[in-house]
Amino acid sequence: MAMTAATAEAASADRSAKKMPDRTFWLLAPGVIWMVLFLVVPILMMVYVSFWTQTTFAITPTLTIKSWVTFFSSDTYLSALWTTIRIWLIVLAATLIVGYPAALFVGLFVRNKTLQTVLLVLCVIPFWTSFLIRVLAWRPMLGKEGAINLILQGVGLINKPIEVLLFSELSVIIGMTQIYCVFMVGPIAFMMGRIDQSVIEAAQDLGAGFWRIFRTIILPLSMPGVVVGAIFVSVMVLGEFATSAALSGRKVNLLGNIIVTQVGSLKWAFAAVAGVILTILMGIVVAALLRVVDLRKEL
Amino acid sequence: MQASGTKLALGIYTALFLVFLYGPMVVLAILSFQTGPEGGPQFPIIEWSIYWYKHLFGMTPPTRIAPLPIEEALVRSLVLAVMTMIVSTVLGVTSAQAFRKKFTGSGFAFYLIVLGMMVPGVLVGLGMALIANALGIDRHWWGTTFVLHVVYTYPFAFLVMLAILNRFDQSVEEASWSLGVSPVKTFRKVTFPLIFPGVLSAMLFAFTLSYDEFSRTLFASGRDLTLPLAIYGTFSVEVHPNVFAFGVLTTLFSFALLGTYAVLMMLSIRRARRVAIQEEA
Repeated sequence: MAMTAATAEAASADRSAKKMPDRTFWLLAPGVIWMVLFLVVPILMMVYVSFWTQTTFAITPTLTIKSWVTFFSSDTYLSALWTTIRIWLIVLAATLIVGYPAALFVGLFVRNKTLQTVLLVLCVIPFWTSFLIRVLAWRPMLGKEGAINLILQGVGLINKPIEVLLFSELSVIIGMTQIYCVFMVGPIAFMMGRIDQSVIEAAQDLGAGFWRIFRTIILPLSMPGVVVGAIFVSVMVLGEFATSAALSGRKVNLLGNIIVTQVGSLKWAFAAVAGVILTILMGIVVAALLRVVDLRKEL
Repeated sequence: MQASGTKLALGIYTALFLVFLYGPMVVLAILSFQTGPEGGPQFPIIEWSIYWYKHLFGMTPPTRIAPLPIEEALVRSLVLAVMTMIVSTVLGVTSAQAFRKKFTGSGFAFYLIVLGMMVPGVLVGLGMALIANALGIDRHWWGTTFVLHVVYTYPFAFLVMLAILNRFDQSVEEASWSLGVSPVKTFRKVTFPLIFPGVLSAMLFAFTLSYDEFSRTLFASGRDLTLPLAIYGTFSVEVHPNVFAFGVLTTLFSFALLGTYAVLMMLSIRRARRVAIQEEA
């Protein structure tokens, strides 16, 4: 868009157009420098420090792969890696299953624009509550004397409280699903909204049932939304540690929790190794998701 | 789509989905009115009271339950959020301005900026802590934490501004330039009023994201706590309803912020419309 405006303008204002590259440079420089210094350099530093020598309370910049060997020969760290991958896959699936029907309804079935906006705003409002408070809010829900157990007992479905609801892997999964599913709903609802209704009507006129329409039209056209949502959810869940700290009672240790503990006990090199592994994991996941759908072509 | 049975089922599902989203917060809000200090963070409500709200502000006789260290933390969080808001909005506006012209390396610069909102806080935070450690710099909320908050919020401001500038009619600016008005004055008198709604949104994003930001803060700040860190501190100990009361209050604060934003937005839109009408007349 800027391109066409630039060509249209070229004739009238070539004086200012010539000065532009310089201006662009100065406008862009502060932001780019900021990001290099405080984003790229820290990540590189993390990679570098993962090869430093760890002593009891300090690190020295003598290069070694000892921390890496320790990581891959320790059951604690490896099981944290598997837990991270397992929880990520489960939460990803859960957010998709929970979020997709809601996105389908908001994006495709609600024809009234105002109602659509209201529903989307309702989904976003919880984000104006502190993330940690939202995590903590699951404790009185899931606990032994929590709301869910009370309701289930009141209805008579169970006669003994379900204890596995809180301070277990299940509670971490429930909490994360609730917090992150909106990131799935948003992009999918957006793609649904762009589906041309006349295509669906044509299919209906030709006698296609709902499932057929869903499989052949709605699902393929909403895939880019699923991929974008999956990228959001994946990156956030893989970098998580607060939800597991609050809801698992130390039973679930993710890579993020390992990093927090290691930093707490000044084991910087180990923390850096865990950080690099997390970065690699995220890189693989995002690259794989981008393979599924070519976003540039679709958006 | 007119399959009414499916539509009804999906509608009910979406209602349940909203209950799932809001349920925990509603329960938390109800329990914040538990009586104190003996009432715990669970049902049943022994007696309705605002004890825990008083407890937050130190208006109750001291008990074994330590008050949340919120006073100073609140000030720090607000100052940090304002600092972050100003810097990231300025950076966002300037870089979005730069992107109005095609230039070599624009793709690279774009991804570099957007990376800031994608990389998890735990990684940048750890990296920053390592750098501070290696250079022997003390970590503080106004230093190491602040720069990381900007790394996180500046991409949001940038994207908002990019969206605004993309829809922006350049001929107004060109008219100003061709009349001999200096670029700085053109920006102040012509460009800025037009992009003001975008600036407001960028500021809202930056403020709320920074105010809530936790994982970056955890690693990059020193001994002084910000609000999210104060809440995180309660995770490891027994939770009392005072945390719930605090959650209700911060939520109300955020809504007040959102309301202010909505009012300012409406005023600026109304003013823009009035200007447009005057010009037509």
